[in-house]
Amino acid sequence: MTDKYLIEPDVNFVREIVGLGGDTLKKCFQCATCSVVCPISPDTKPFPRKEMIAASWGLKDRLVGNLDIWLCHHCGDCTTNCPRGAKPGEVLGAVRSYAIATYAVPKTLGKWVNSPKFLPILLLIPTAIFIVLGLITGLLDFTPGGEEIAQTKFFSTWLVDMIFIPLAVWVVAIFAMGLKNFINDIHENALLEGKTDKKELDFVGLIKALIRVIPTILKHDKFSECTENKDRATAHLLVFYSFIGLFIVTNIFFIHLYILQWHGPYSQLHPAKWLANISGVALIIGGALMIWNRLSKTDQTTAYKDWYLLGLVLGLGLTGMLTEITRMAGLAGITYWTYFIHLVFVFNLFAFLPFSKLAHLVYRTVAMAYNEYSGRQ
Amino acid sequence: MDKKYGVYICTGCGIGDALEMEELCEVPEEEGLPVKTHPFLCGKEGVELIKKDIADDGVNTLIIAACSRRVNYDVFKFDGCIVDRVNLREQVVWSHPRSEFPALTEEQKDDEEHFDRLQMLAEDYLKMGMAKVEKIDLPEPYKLETLSKKILVIGGGITGISAALDAAKAGYEVTVVEKESSLGGYATKIRKQLPNEDPYENLVPPVIEAKIKELEAYDNIIVKTDKIVARLAGEPGDFTVTLKKPGEKIEYDVPYPLPEEMKFDESGKELDVEEQHKRYLEYNEGKLDILQFDPDGEKFGAVVLAAGWRPYEPEGDEFAHLGFGELPDVVTNHQFEEMAAKGNITRPSDGKEAKSVVFVQSPGKGDDDADFDYCGSVTSLVSLKQAKYVREDYDDGKAYIFYQHMRTPGLLENFYKSLQQDEGIFLTKGEVVSVSKNGDGMIVEADNTLLGEKVKVQADMVVLATGMVPVTVDDPVINMAYRQGPAFRDIGLFDGYCDSNYICFPYETQRTGIYAAGAIRRSMTMEESIEDATGAALKAIQCIESVNRGVSVHPRSGDMTFPDFFFQRCTQCKRCTDECPFGALDDDEKGTPKPNPARCRRCGTCMGACPERIVGFADFNIDSVGSQVKAVGVPSEDDYDEPPFRIVGFVCENDAYPALDIAGLNRLSYSADVRFIPIRCLGSMNVIWIKDALAKGMDGAFLLGCKHGDDYQCHFIKGSELSDIRMQKIGDALSSLALEEERVAQFQVAIDEYDKLPKMINDFVELVEELGPNPFKGF
Repeated sequence: MTDKYLIEPDVNFVREIVGLGGDTLKKCFQCATCSVVCPISPDTKPFPRKEMIAASWGLKDRLVGNLDIWLCHHCGDCTTNCPRGAKPGEVLGAVRSYAIATYAVPKTLGKWVNSPKFLPILLLIPTAIFIVLGLITGLLDFTPGGEEIAQTKFFSTWLVDMIFIPLAVWVVAIFAMGLKNFINDIHENALLEGKTDKKELDFVGLIKALIRVIPTILKHDKFSECTENKDRATAHLLVFYSFIGLFIVTNIFFIHLYILQWHGPYSQLHPAKWLANISGVALIIGGALMIWNRLSKTDQTTAYKDWYLLGLVLGLGLTGMLTEITRMAGLAGITYWTYFIHLVFVFNLFAFLPFSKLAHLVYRTVAMAYNEYSGRQ
Repeated sequence: MDKKYGVYICTGCGIGDALEMEELCEVPEEEGLPVKTHPFLCGKEGVELIKKDIADDGVNTLIIAACSRRVNYDVFKFDGCIVDRVNLREQVVWSHPRSEFPALTEEQKDDEEHFDRLQMLAEDYLKMGMAKVEKIDLPEPYKLETLSKKILVIGGGITGISAALDAAKAGYEVTVVEKESSLGGYATKIRKQLPNEDPYENLVPPVIEAKIKELEAYDNIIVKTDKIVARLAGEPGDFTVTLKKPGEKIEYDVPYPLPEEMKFDESGKELDVEEQHKRYLEYNEGKLDILQFDPDGEKFGAVVLAAGWRPYEPEGDEFAHLGFGELPDVVTNHQFEEMAAKGNITRPSDGKEAKSVVFVQSPGKGDDDADFDYCGSVTSLVSLKQAKYVREDYDDGKAYIFYQHMRTPGLLENFYKSLQQDEGIFLTKGEVVSVSKNGDGMIVEADNTLLGEKVKVQADMVVLATGMVPVTVDDPVINMAYRQGPAFRDIGLFDGYCDSNYICFPYETQRTGIYAAGAIRRSMTMEESIEDATGAALKAIQCIESVNRGVSVHPRSGDMTFPDFFFQRCTQCKRCTDECPFGALDDDEKGTPKPNPARCRRCGTCMGACPERIVGFADFNIDSVGSQVKAVGVPSEDDYDEPPFRIVGFVCENDAYPALDIAGLNRLSYSADVRFIPIRCLGSMNVIWIKDALAKGMDGAFLLGCKHGDDYQCHFIKGSELSDIRMQKIGDALSSLALEEERVAQFQVAIDEYDKLPKMINDFVELVEELGPNPFKGF
């Protein structure tokens, strides 16, 4: 029976959302203060009021494929102003993790990312791959010699690329699969809930819309509209640009290596090196700020999924910079092992990207693009 | 009593600054009355001055011209003395500043052109006070020959038991009458009760058993089961009650008044008194008249009516759209409670477990979003409670509540919050539009929900949150042997609940000495009923003790006066018996009223109704008010070139008079040509006073009283409405005198609308001025 009005509450879904940090969701009594105070909610079918009742009724279908959960930037204005302490911001965050896990296969991996129990496994996977592959190929040398310290002597660049290039392909593939379902779902949901009048999904239009929202994303325009968590926008901006910076640096050095055949370490005077160092520092500051914000906001819930990602971000920055500093200080042993840990972090961030909270960079971007495309007011 | 007068004028609070005191003192002096002024009359020295005069000179009739009678009433109270307060402060100097009502200069005095409106106002009020005290007497209390202090509690449910316990604890003898064969009522038929203690989150087992046990321990409580009241005759302090078995027919069954249509013959002519009485006797054959007291009847002082409620029974296909009557798994909350009390909840149709239950709070299918009839917060709470039953019975049970209103007053909000937390309970506002069969179960469809414009859910059972009908809808229960009838009068406002004003006067019914408690008053929970019972028990005690002292109970608590009838002139028109809002009068077969002063609330509606003007109180009567009207000075062209207008305002002393005082307190000013006379209620307004006023040459008259209608504020239920009807009739009389109908008006004002009074008064004065002076002026 397919009656679009027929609803069947799914109690297990409610329990899962509660477990993902949405433990307050049942407190909502539907006053809609949240939708009114939300600075970024659209006028047509505003969120998060309707998401709150859908969550407390366990209506999974109305939430997982709902683009509004991604339009939310988790400013926290709603949470602060909620008269019932229902914390809509946190509930939507929990729903987003649930949605991320839904769209990413294999599902087991999603479960591991969201549970502290499996953290050792997540760390062991890259460690094992590095060691096994390194020993088989001989590209991992535990006793690198020579005067000059170079990371590639210990953990060969070839080994890095041998692992990370296929990994990148894998990540893209998983995202592609998830996105296909995601776009279809959010379109269907938007049609059902009257958020758009565009019956057919036009991909060219969607891509044009994507181009239109890129400046908004780059400038963090939406995020800056939040009043409650203004500091969070700054921290996010730092991390966001440091990742972009580091992405550019990686590509530059990739070209250096494979096209220009220049091997590192590169001179500190190299402009790309400047960018790399600035980005690295920004990453550490941004990551530390984020953690600081989380710790100082006692009225907001921080779930394990948040700590996992924050830990990775800060760990990534710290180990990266430490590797560089110890290398220049001539501490061969320390720099090599820091580098190893750094790569474990990179692997975690990268490989589990479609499963972790960081996947928002894809889903939120697409959701924002779709919202732009939908013509919703 | 030989009256020895004394006039005392206070010059404090701005009175002395605004008024010419010497001229004011001349007013009583001209009449030969001693007058004294004092700058601080309510102070120790001022009061001593008065007390000294009382002690030394035997002064016993005092006119105190100072502040309003609504303040310092305890200061200016002198035992054995008649006291009248002339309101020079709030209604003269504070509401008429000299800046707007200037005093006369030396040249202007006696020039026949100028006059001092404010001085005139003060002098008139003083004259009116002097005229009034001449016509009133000290009241003497009405004492019953025999007084019973026993309290009758009708209804042995949770309310009745609680009321009996409270009254017994206060030391009173109580008799509980229950129509069933055992005590407890509905409270014994439920699975669980709403939370009654901190944290107000959990259902509790019924408390009724413990209450019954507690009751048994009191030897000043007598319980009579299998009994109902056949008749209750007499008056508070001296009720004679005849009990009988339910269904029994006895000669002391209460007679009913003759229905309206039987008072007329075939041609539509009203029958005369004898013929009507004959018919009345035929109509009530086998029943003794109300004035025939049962010699074997039991005596009681006051009654707590706690007869409770019955579940609403849907009529025919009233809720056909909700499947009620057609689908066996659609039940009322009452039926659901019965099932829940027996065990796990199962479907009536096939006995299968009911794991998905939809609770419907409003019938929908109408223009409004009203809940079921006779609902209230209790139906919201019962739905929450019953939703909890579903969850108690089944781990995977689901309970849906579709409501238009979710009312969880007080700490029961905690209960609502805790249920919200239950993952198997789903709440939404919405209008349920249909319940239909769907395979094995049902589909409930609702519009305009919080989840979207339309939703459907699957249900094993549907529960309608129907209401609690007070038993007084079906039957008088109280069976008063009163001429107005055995039941509370249906004034079209209370849907059969016995009450007289929910907000201002809880527990008060329209009959003195009978106090309603529990679900007979409004739908309420058991927890509320227990609390309500305390209130009603206290009212019953207050009543007995007031009657014992010969004073009024409510709302004129402590008033010792009561209506006195000069029967020689009675024409047996029955108007007083009919119009008394409290059924205090029982006329005999000739139609002569028999007053029952202890039933009376002293509003004076009888006094306003009487065309022969034979009803009066010791301190408030036709003559005392008429003399005040006549005491007002009405200047004519003989006095001034352009004499000021004179308008009299009869003011309800419950709300309108205080509102005028508050206007004064806020220094709001209005015309100084109006003279106010406080009266007990607009219902006590006798039209003769208006005729007196106009005959004397006054230019207009108006009444200022409470709002009437659905949200009436009259302390005596119908006073302002009755006077409105009477005023419509005065129009004809006025036109026969060639006076414009517009010269007489009635205004409604609430106590907090003091700020509207100046405009109300000034607009009327302006209107009268436009009509021109009364042509009878100066005759």
